[in-house]
Amino acid sequence: MDMTAIFGDYTAIAPLVFLIVAALILPGVQLLGKNRNITWAVGLVLAVVSMVVNIMMLTDGYVGAALDLFEYNAYSGLLILLFSIVLVLMLLVSNASVETTRFNTGAYYALIFAATLGMMFVVLSSDLLTIFVGVELTSISSYAAVSMKRNDPRAAEAAVKYVVVGGMSTALTLYGISMIYGLSGTTDIAALAAWVQTLPEINLLLGVGIVAMVAGYGFKIAAVPFHMWAPDVYEGAATPLSMFLATGSKKMGLSVFFQIFLVMFVAVASVSFLGETVQYLFAIIAAITMTVGNIVAIAQNNIKRMLAYSSVAQAGYILIVMAVMSEYALSSGLFHMFTHVFMKGGAFLIVGALICAGVGEMISDYRGLAKKAPFLAAAMMLFLFSLAGIPPLAGFTSKFFLFSSTLYGMEGAVDSTWVWLAFIAVLNSAISLYYYARVVKAMYIEKGDNTEKIKVPAPFMVAIVICLVGVIVLGVYPQLVFDLCESAAAALLGPYLL
Amino acid sequence: MIPMEYFLVLAGILFAIGAYGVLTKNNAIIVLMCIELMLNAANINFVTFGAFANDIMGQAFVIMSISVAAAEVAVGIAILLNAYKMRKTTELDDEKLTSLRW
Repeated sequence: MDMTAIFGDYTAIAPLVFLIVAALILPGVQLLGKNRNITWAVGLVLAVVSMVVNIMMLTDGYVGAALDLFEYNAYSGLLILLFSIVLVLMLLVSNASVETTRFNTGAYYALIFAATLGMMFVVLSSDLLTIFVGVELTSISSYAAVSMKRNDPRAAEAAVKYVVVGGMSTALTLYGISMIYGLSGTTDIAALAAWVQTLPEINLLLGVGIVAMVAGYGFKIAAVPFHMWAPDVYEGAATPLSMFLATGSKKMGLSVFFQIFLVMFVAVASVSFLGETVQYLFAIIAAITMTVGNIVAIAQNNIKRMLAYSSVAQAGYILIVMAVMSEYALSSGLFHMFTHVFMKGGAFLIVGALICAGVGEMISDYRGLAKKAPFLAAAMMLFLFSLAGIPPLAGFTSKFFLFSSTLYGMEGAVDSTWVWLAFIAVLNSAISLYYYARVVKAMYIEKGDNTEKIKVPAPFMVAIVICLVGVIVLGVYPQLVFDLCESAAAALLGPYLL
Repeated sequence: MIPMEYFLVLAGILFAIGAYGVLTKNNAIIVLMCIELMLNAANINFVTFGAFANDIMGQAFVIMSISVAAAEVAVGIAILLNAYKMRKTTELDDEKLTSLRW
């Protein structure tokens, strides 16, 4: 179906329109209907319609611009699809989780839709200004959503940390953007990429600008050494929200890195001194992030905290793309972001489902789970093994693509510059298996205090089954999404590669 | 006409004061105020660059960043109020606000 016949000049932002409508009307629906099931159903329908519209645009290969601000191409389409999957999974369980149903329903859904809107806003934009505003829309909505868990001291503390650290990262980013703007005279990223190629060498102000921006957006993806807020927030927030932040919000931060720094420096990568400096900066951040994330995760006893540190480590793996700076690396990075949604999302959903059933958050609470809830224990094992990268699950396939991308330079020639990074990443995968296996051991080998069967709400089961299908199907048949990732990487980087 | 460097140095000093405050102060309200200082340092940069280059983008960016900062402080104060009701403190290093560690 031709979407331009329906949406006209606004086709590029068609998937966003449904979310804007949802964010605006849901508080009113709740106020008038006074029934949270109706509000939930309206929100879910709008989110699914938005997802279907986007899938149709993506399969049609639609490319277009709207309002001089937004550009829809294969890259933005793919990431909008990722964010709508996260949104739908999140909405499915929101009406069933004991943690989120106590919230003010209208405000909660409005905040979730606004946060998703910010993520989609970011991937559609090609200007530092719109990226900045989109990131802030997501961040500010998430601060408020985290603090909605009333009468819980941990959530209050997490929200305070989140807003203070987030505010500081905003200030750093803005200062960095102002330096770049002052030096180049433009905030358009295509113009910035052309400007970078004309630079004779690095000067001090450019260095300050780039470092401040990398640090500011590094906070958003929880890259070490800017990661300290992430475990606190993921532990303190309601579990569906932790899942939303770990899968959606973090992917937006990574997309910001691709859209700004990858596009700006891809043409000068391994050519000029400036390009190589930026590549090494990201290589070091990536190596430290995955190592610290994995090593600290070993010491965790709270499973949400452990998953948070593992998600810090996963961001480190994906940052390999920023060091290698090639089209193949970007497509494999996008693919890993996709599989990460299903495996990390699934793991968080199981934790959320078990909290609804009265099981605690500690790893020791999972003892003997295989007897009490055989399906959930098996699903959790698959998600954790997928995160560790065990074949034939999705995590193995995407990690294989990602790590092998370090071997290939431009035009497929073998290039050994970044092999050490792949080596560190593989070592880290081995470390991560240790703490994932601890949970599996608690579930399957250790004995629980009773063997009573656990019942979890049906929406949780639906969401977990969706994630499970994603993890298995993408593991054995990666081309399903990898083809889309390849055309997305070509759409983003094509104009800048020689 | 005042040279451009004066504005940039002013912004740099403001940013440094703000960053120092964020890193050393314990009271969350003061930390939020220091974040405002850092944001305004960046705004001064934008206005300066925009004015000297005769480019409207600098001022457009400042309008956006002021509204973002306002929203952020509104949410931030509400969150602090919520935490205060629960903990009876706004001190960040108070043992009541550091139960989540490592």
